[in-house]
Amino acid sequence: MKPFMPTRQRQAAQAAVAHSSRRGDGRSAALLLTPFVTLFLLFFLAPALQTFYLSLTESSLTRTNAFVGLANYALLVRDPSFWASLGNTFYFSLLTVMPLTALGLLMALLVHRFTRVQGWLQGAFFLPYVLPISVMTLIADWMLQPSTGVINQIVGGQTAWLADVDWAMPVVALGTIWWTVGFNMLMLLAGLRNIPRELYEAAALDGARGFTLFRCITWPQLRPVVGTALLLQLIVSLKIFGQTYILTVGGPFNTTRVTLHYMYETAFTHSDAGYAAAIAMAFVAVVVALSLLHALLRRVVAGRNP
Amino acid sequence: MVQRRRFLGSCALLATPLARAQSGKPIELRMWTLLSGGDGARMHALVNAFNASQRAVRVVSTTLKWGEPFYTKLITSAVVGAGPEIATIHLSRLPNLAGGGVLRPIGEAELLAAGLRAGDYFERQWHKSRYKGASYAIPLDMHPLVLYYNKHLTRRAGLLGSDGRLAPIEGYEALTAAFRSARQRTGKAGLAMEANQSSFAVWRLWLSLLTQRKATLIEHGRFAYGSAGVEELAKISAWFTRGYAQAGLNYPASTSQFMGGAAAFMLNGVWEVPEMVRATRLGTLGFDYGIAPLPRVYHDASAWTDSHAFALPANEGQPLAPEKARAALAFIAYISRHSMSWAEGGHVPAYRPVADSNQARALMPNAEYAAAAHNVVYDPDGWYMGAAGPVESMASKFMPGALSGQLTPGEAMRMFETEAARLLRKAPPRY
Repeated sequence: MKPFMPTRQRQAAQAAVAHSSRRGDGRSAALLLTPFVTLFLLFFLAPALQTFYLSLTESSLTRTNAFVGLANYALLVRDPSFWASLGNTFYFSLLTVMPLTALGLLMALLVHRFTRVQGWLQGAFFLPYVLPISVMTLIADWMLQPSTGVINQIVGGQTAWLADVDWAMPVVALGTIWWTVGFNMLMLLAGLRNIPRELYEAAALDGARGFTLFRCITWPQLRPVVGTALLLQLIVSLKIFGQTYILTVGGPFNTTRVTLHYMYETAFTHSDAGYAAAIAMAFVAVVVALSLLHALLRRVVAGRNP
Repeated sequence: MVQRRRFLGSCALLATPLARAQSGKPIELRMWTLLSGGDGARMHALVNAFNASQRAVRVVSTTLKWGEPFYTKLITSAVVGAGPEIATIHLSRLPNLAGGGVLRPIGEAELLAAGLRAGDYFERQWHKSRYKGASYAIPLDMHPLVLYYNKHLTRRAGLLGSDGRLAPIEGYEALTAAFRSARQRTGKAGLAMEANQSSFAVWRLWLSLLTQRKATLIEHGRFAYGSAGVEELAKISAWFTRGYAQAGLNYPASTSQFMGGAAAFMLNGVWEVPEMVRATRLGTLGFDYGIAPLPRVYHDASAWTDSHAFALPANEGQPLAPEKARAALAFIAYISRHSMSWAEGGHVPAYRPVADSNQARALMPNAEYAAAAHNVVYDPDGWYMGAAGPVESMASKFMPGALSGQLTPGEAMRMFETEAARLLRKAPPRY
């Protein structure tokens, strides 16, 4: 829609577009949407609603029992284990979201800059992402073994990294960064490649070079992609479960037990599916709230320097 | 032999359709076990022997991952009617499984028909396999916590008697002194014990000591041991913080420490016996070893134990056909009668005609710790108790923290109790 069109004309054009699509494409659109909508309803919305209902009941692992209203939630807000697990989840996110995005950006810039070895660099950076979690945790576990691991061979000493209160979470975060940074690199690289070459040429004609190019062209152009990368990373980091479950089993003494791990224990070890469902719903609320906060922050930042 | 013939006869009579049994097509029974390693191989051999001994029944055994994954799968499959016909379980989990509706009760007439008599089993185990007046399992064994010792190192530490066996140890001070002198006089570790995150040995030992003190674990839905809990954990922790035992070893590292001759004692269950026997036979064990029951530290020599048992999953909506139930019980009776090979796995058979046989009494090193079977203590009854159950899992998170010195015994107990309190108040789950 061209901005200089008179208002009435624009409205007419909009109506025409909407009308024609309704008349001609309505049925095929519905047809095309059906498979997705069916799957969405069947495998996402219905289970999600069922989880919500489950959270309002007293249920074992397999049997849905009495409706108890908000009792599970009332318990949840006073449950120190839940809050502690949420704290651990935030701590992990703090250790991973920014570093993963920053490192991904750095790697993308390197790949973009050194065109001759582009393929090799990109391959080397992306390779760990291909590993299944079982392999990644196995490698990390071997490297971190107290007496035989390569890490202790290098730094000396016999630190049991994964059993150390101060080190367990940072070490898991480090492993995760190594494992998943390739994805961020790829996303940011795509963003870099979308910046029109003419911008750089024009800047070069104006005498800009080096960091000035990055500050005045690359960064402003890339900012939306970085914002998206941060948001996706935040969600992925909050959803951590596998790495701590396999590497530390939530230890030492629950200091790396994240929210999803607590939910898992509640459902499967304690056989309390109703309470586990309440944890799940509360966690969804937290993730959604943080994502909205992130979007709001982006808008504020974008508003300040357009 | 008589029992088997009777079984085969009744099977042929009642099998439906009759023609199937006569045409020689065997009844197939699926069994899920959580037995791995040496136990798994031994059970596999027993199943093969049973299958070869007759043609009417064929048992197909599947091994699943020990612990919570096994029980989750058993529970979820049994309640939707997709479980196996037979499962091995821990008797410590029976209140949870039978009370939750996961297992099918075994009627008195069925027991009788299969030749399974209460009097043939140790009373304690038979009693543990019952829930609210009905049998839900047939006990196979018990596997208590025992004290392994390296004769070479304990002799150097002056701890052996003139008969070459461990001189009796009584009381905490004597036990601590034994670990200390072994450590100081040999330079090796006094004690090898798994003590890392999520290890269970400390729970087993702690429960043994509480029982020896006559402290009650749980009463009226709350922990009732009072200060004894912290005191016993502190006593165990002292062995680690004073350096008699190495903190933080995981299970394989702790057994390697002992089997490699780097520790004078090892506190562990009897399931390591086959490894000791094997290493001795192969000549790879560089020392003679002995096994003693857990020492008497307080009023008696109570030692933690658990038992494997056979049970029939309830399989809701898919009740076990009578001929299949009969076949399953015949299989279980066969295993009981042939549990001598199970004894060679270190376990004490629950079936008395085998356990009391001369052959079993003469079996070494089992005979050395046979007395342990008289003072065993199980996890107390409760749906949250037992092998890989929620309370043991919580204990395994916090108690090892005291052994490594990361938590004081008081902190560890307080964290454990806080976490477990909600479970103790909760009603037993129905599955």
